[in-house]
Amino acid sequence: MLSSPLQLGNIPMSFREKSAWITLVSVLACFGVYFYELIAGRVDGHHLGALHSLHLLLFAVVALVGLQLALTAIAAATTPKGGRAPADERERLIQWRSHTLGYYVLTVLALLLFVPIHFGHSALDMANFALLAVVISTLTVAVAQIVMYRRGF
Amino acid sequence: MGSLPIANHIRRLRFEAGEMTQSDLAERIGMTRQTVAAIEAGKYSPSLEAAFRIAHVFGVGLDDVFQWTGGLPEGKLSRSD
Repeated sequence: MLSSPLQLGNIPMSFREKSAWITLVSVLACFGVYFYELIAGRVDGHHLGALHSLHLLLFAVVALVGLQLALTAIAAATTPKGGRAPADERERLIQWRSHTLGYYVLTVLALLLFVPIHFGHSALDMANFALLAVVISTLTVAVAQIVMYRRGF
Repeated sequence: MGSLPIANHIRRLRFEAGEMTQSDLAERIGMTRQTVAAIEAGKYSPSLEAAFRIAHVFGVGLDDVFQWTGGLPEGKLSRSD
């Protein structure tokens, strides 16, 4: 069952908390592979071309959607009806706080995008840096939600 | 995170109300079971409206459910002053 190995404390895991775990795991896995392939290709000495990068990105996005659909179906099947009730005040606060934090992270990383411009990076590199910023802010939101769900708020 | 300055007797009140479950209470106050568990464990302070709803379910006053356990900020006068 999805909840048991992740259960912390004595607060049962809701569907929304499981969704945060699903986002964390799937984004980490799919974009981890994507950026690993980009970096590994660079270390080996051959730059991945724009078309190859695009294919890799499409593969990552399709894998992300497939993984999220599968894990969400498992989470829905293993969550009692009560765990799928509409979000209440605590959950809305958790959503609000986590997205605010994610927004700050994205803002800082977006400003940092000006740095690689000065080192002559290509447009493709810049696109990948921007993608990395989005991925990091998404992971920040998921981690913040998990932490707040576990500690109560 | 430090412990919240609000204690509660929800667990006892649930027991006295015919061993009402967290899910039952959650349903009656329009919240999730996870939130009731968090409130009961002292990990989340509910809004005033939610606190009144909880007290209303048990048919008691707010003071019978929640107690302020923190002091006043330094420099503030208590009501008796």
